[in-house]
Amino acid sequence: MSEATRTDIRTFIIDNFLFGDESQPLPDDLSLIDNDLVDSTGILELVSFIEEHFEVKIEDADIVPANLDTIGKIVAFIDRKRVH
Amino acid sequence: MSEIRLFDEGDLPAVAGLFQRRLRKQKAPASPSLQAYLKTIFLDRREADDPIASKVHVRADGRVSGFLGVLPMPMEFNGEPLRAAVCGTFMVDGHDDDPFAGARLLRDVLSGPQDLSFSETSNDISTGMWRKMRAIAPPSYCLEWLRVLRPAAFGLEMAAGRLGALRVLRPLAISVDALSGRRGEGQSWSRYRPTADKADGFSDTDASEAEFIALVPELLAPFELRPRWSSVQLEEMLVHSRRKALHGERVLRIVRARTGKAVGAFLYYGDRGRVGRVVQIMALPGLEGIVIDRLLKNAYERDMAALRGRVQPALLDAMLGRKFAFVHASSTVLHSRRPELLKTVAAGHGFFNGLAGEGWTRLIGDRFD
Repeated sequence: MSEATRTDIRTFIIDNFLFGDESQPLPDDLSLIDNDLVDSTGILELVSFIEEHFEVKIEDADIVPANLDTIGKIVAFIDRKRVH
Repeated sequence: MSEIRLFDEGDLPAVAGLFQRRLRKQKAPASPSLQAYLKTIFLDRREADDPIASKVHVRADGRVSGFLGVLPMPMEFNGEPLRAAVCGTFMVDGHDDDPFAGARLLRDVLSGPQDLSFSETSNDISTGMWRKMRAIAPPSYCLEWLRVLRPAAFGLEMAAGRLGALRVLRPLAISVDALSGRRGEGQSWSRYRPTADKADGFSDTDASEAEFIALVPELLAPFELRPRWSSVQLEEMLVHSRRKALHGERVLRIVRARTGKAVGAFLYYGDRGRVGRVVQIMALPGLEGIVIDRLLKNAYERDMAALRGRVQPALLDAMLGRKFAFVHASSTVLHSRRPELLKTVAAGHGFFNGLAGEGWTRLIGDRFD
C-alpha cells in the first residue's frame, strides 16, 4: 500500500508543484518547504488531494511539517491515518 | 505543539503587534488605542458562545503568530436567514518557523458553522489560499474603480504619497485645474466637468445616520443574497464609521427625486484636494447612474482630486461610459458549502463590499496614535 501511496503523492507533487518537470530528483527525504515546493497555498492543495484521494480526514492539528514536509513523512502520515 | 484556538483578551498585545507589523507595515509598537479597538471590534461585539469568532494560531512555545479576525454578519438568501463570517483581518508572522500556520488558520475558520465566509480585502497570497479551499473570487466584486476629477490635484496627491511635503501645493493644483478646466467640454478620463444632465432633476443632501438606516432595507431588497442588519447593528456600524482620520471627513448623503422620494445614498471619505474613498453607493434598480452622477458632482464641489472605491456588479453598467478606470488591488473572496450561494454571487446578485465587509470599521482608514 505504501508504495502505491508514494507513487500517487510523487505524481501529485510533480504535476502540481513542478508543473510536470520530472528532471529534478525528488528523494523521499527532500524537504518540500525548504526547497520552496510547498507554501501555505500549496499545502491546502496537498491536504485536499490527500483527503479526497486517500479518503482520510485530516485535522487542522495534523497540518504541520512533521507530517507533510517530505514524501516519506506524507506516506507515513497517510499510513497512520488509515490504521486509525 | 502549535494550536488554533479562539482569540481572547490575553492575546490583544500580540495581535495588535501583528496588525501593526503585517498590515500597517509600521515598526513602532502597537498603541494601547489599537489594542482597545481590536477588543471592541472582535471581542466585545461577540455574543457569548457564538462559534463564529476570531481565531489565533499559537506556536508550540506559546507565542501568538497568526490571527484571523471574524465579524459575524446576519444575511438572507431569498428570505432565508443565514449567518456569514466576514474574515478580513488575516495575518501571520514567522513564516519560516511554521509555514503552514496561515493555511491552518484559514481552514479552521472556513470549516465553522457559518453558511458563508468572505473577505473583501484579500491579497494575492490569501486569495490563492481561499481558492484552494474552493472559494470564488468573482471579478465583478474584485475591481477597484477610480474617477479622476482634477488632474493636477490628482497628480499632486500621487506624488505626495511618496513625498508628503508636496501637499502644501494643493491650493495651487486646485487653481491650475480650475483654469485649465475652462477649456474643452465633455467628460474625459483625466477630468470631470459638471454638466447639465438628468441627475439635475434629483438632489442630494446630508443624511443623518437614522435617515440612512431607515432607507437601507429598501435599497438592499433587490439583492437575492443580502445583509439582514437590524437597525441597532447598522447604528453601531455607522458609529464606528464616523472616524477615519487617514481618509478624511465622512460624507453621508441621500439622493432624492423631485417628489422627495429617496432613490439612493452614498458614503465616502475625503478632504479638499485629496482622493476620496467611497465605501458605499446604493441605488434603486435603474437609478444607479443618477446616484453616481450626484456623487461625482458632490465630490467635485468639495474640491476633491478624485474618487476611488470598490466595484459592485449592480453599479458596473452605470460606471461604463462615465470615464471610470478599473484596477485590481485586492480581491473579494467567498466560500460556502452551499453551491447555490456561490452561484448567486457569481451571477452578481449578492450585496457585498463596503458596509457588507470591513469597510465600516476604523481598522481601514483610521489612525491609532
